[in-house]
Amino acid sequence: MLLSPNRMGGGRFVLYTIGALVMAFLLLPIIFIAALSFGDSRWLQFPPPGWTLQWYRDVLYDPRWIDSILVSAKVGLVVMVLAVLLGLPASFAVVRGRFFGREVLRAFFISPMIVPLVILAIALYGFFLRVGVNGSFLGFVAGHLVIALPFSIICISNALETFDESIERAAVICGASPAQAIWRITLPSIRSGILAGALFSFLASWDEVVIGIFLASPELQTLPVRMWSTLRNDLTPVVAAVSTLLIAMTIVILAVVAIIRRDRAR
Amino acid sequence: MESAKAFRVPRRALWRAGAREASPAFLFLFLVFVVPLSSLLLRSVTDPVLGFGNYEHLLSDLTYGRVLLNTFMVATVVTIVTLLLGYPVAWLLVILPTRVSRWMLAIILLSMWTNLVARTYAWLVLFQRTGVINRMLMEIGLIDTPIPLIGNLAGVTIGMTYIMLPFIVFPLQSSLAAIDPAIMQVAAISGARPYQVFFRVLLPLSLNGICAGGLMVFVMALGYYITPALLGGTSTMMLAELIAVQVQSLLNWGLGSAAAFILLAVTLALYALYARGLGLGRIR
Repeated sequence: MLLSPNRMGGGRFVLYTIGALVMAFLLLPIIFIAALSFGDSRWLQFPPPGWTLQWYRDVLYDPRWIDSILVSAKVGLVVMVLAVLLGLPASFAVVRGRFFGREVLRAFFISPMIVPLVILAIALYGFFLRVGVNGSFLGFVAGHLVIALPFSIICISNALETFDESIERAAVICGASPAQAIWRITLPSIRSGILAGALFSFLASWDEVVIGIFLASPELQTLPVRMWSTLRNDLTPVVAAVSTLLIAMTIVILAVVAIIRRDRAR
Repeated sequence: MESAKAFRVPRRALWRAGAREASPAFLFLFLVFVVPLSSLLLRSVTDPVLGFGNYEHLLSDLTYGRVLLNTFMVATVVTIVTLLLGYPVAWLLVILPTRVSRWMLAIILLSMWTNLVARTYAWLVLFQRTGVINRMLMEIGLIDTPIPLIGNLAGVTIGMTYIMLPFIVFPLQSSLAAIDPAIMQVAAISGARPYQVFFRVLLPLSLNGICAGGLMVFVMALGYYITPALLGGTSTMMLAELIAVQVQSLLNWGLGSAAAFILLAVTLALYALYARGLGLGRIR
């Protein structure tokens, strides 16, 4: 242990206090939003005078919100599948390939993470306007795939790097064809990496808002974009209800990732 | 030796991944990432007329200078505050028993992966004139009248600090965890007081984590859009907002893309610094 806590004297209490305060700071908005979404004050009074489920009802009975949820889910799922389909072979190439410029290629694959989102957003906006896919499903999928692909490639290539290639070779020695060895030995061994890559790709698309603001049309808006455009006019508690639903989903996905990780550690 | 050779697989029999396997992803990124960015760069020197007029305009006009100043100021303050708050948290994550640190980690991850608009919305409500924060401050007698927290840089800075904190905790944690605790014990045994151990041993040893995390947060803060746009005001515009407004509302593509490329150039330069200082491997 670094400086065991009981040797630190008074500094220990300072450390504990700051830690507790930062944790409270991180939790505050999340708990606040969840509480607000059940409060019955239209004007966001806090603590709320009473409790209600009305804002959730408003979300679930409003076809526009439902529509956005469905758009987000569809885009996210398609992006997830494509990110794995493109990311899996790309990960094999950057991990096992022996060709000139492999490290450059690896850096290129994660470079969309480095470019500020607003720049990527206007670049795509200008490009999609010219090609004529702005405001379309295809545009959303393509735009989100750019930011999801790095997540998928990082997760899968990390898993591939820890997989011992000689096991695959052993399968070939035992008579498997190269394709069989990949399909029945390698892919099952790195499946937790693939799953994590898929989940993070989905989450990257599901949470994406900056690109969406530029690509959205009045008919086609993802959930975060609808939240954003609603917020610009009105701080309605309906957004708190939507936010709480999203927070619940994040908790579920993080729990799934944690369980996958634990299984892999075993 | 001979038997080992017998078991070696013929090279041909194994499927070898090569550049070919990367081509679908490469082609996709080329078409939907490289081409759009390059045509944007091109537009900054061709729209409305050929030349560097857009860049000259941006760098000579005081209004834009103010935007640049706001951006760098907020990014600097956010970086310093997140370092001051994130360091103790990262330290605690390393020294506390797993059953406690696991919960801290869960809170950090939850905050990090909660929808960005949702988190910003929370601050937007908390910061209202009659919001919880103003009322609390008035109740404990710190202020007499509500202070404006929205439409100025105070709210933007707090909101962005909130969002950036996780990104500084993780690099700090990994650099603190890599330090051999024995070094600290040696310092203590040799008679160093706790604050001396901290300032003369721990802090210098974790300097690479501080630089990595700080640089990362600084770069991300420079290009941030959502939080400043919702929590800030028109007089406190930041660079990302300027780019968005120029393109989306004013249809001034030339100026917008010139501003975008100033931001991109600064970002890439800082990342190059990061990669050079810490080795490319750390980014992964």
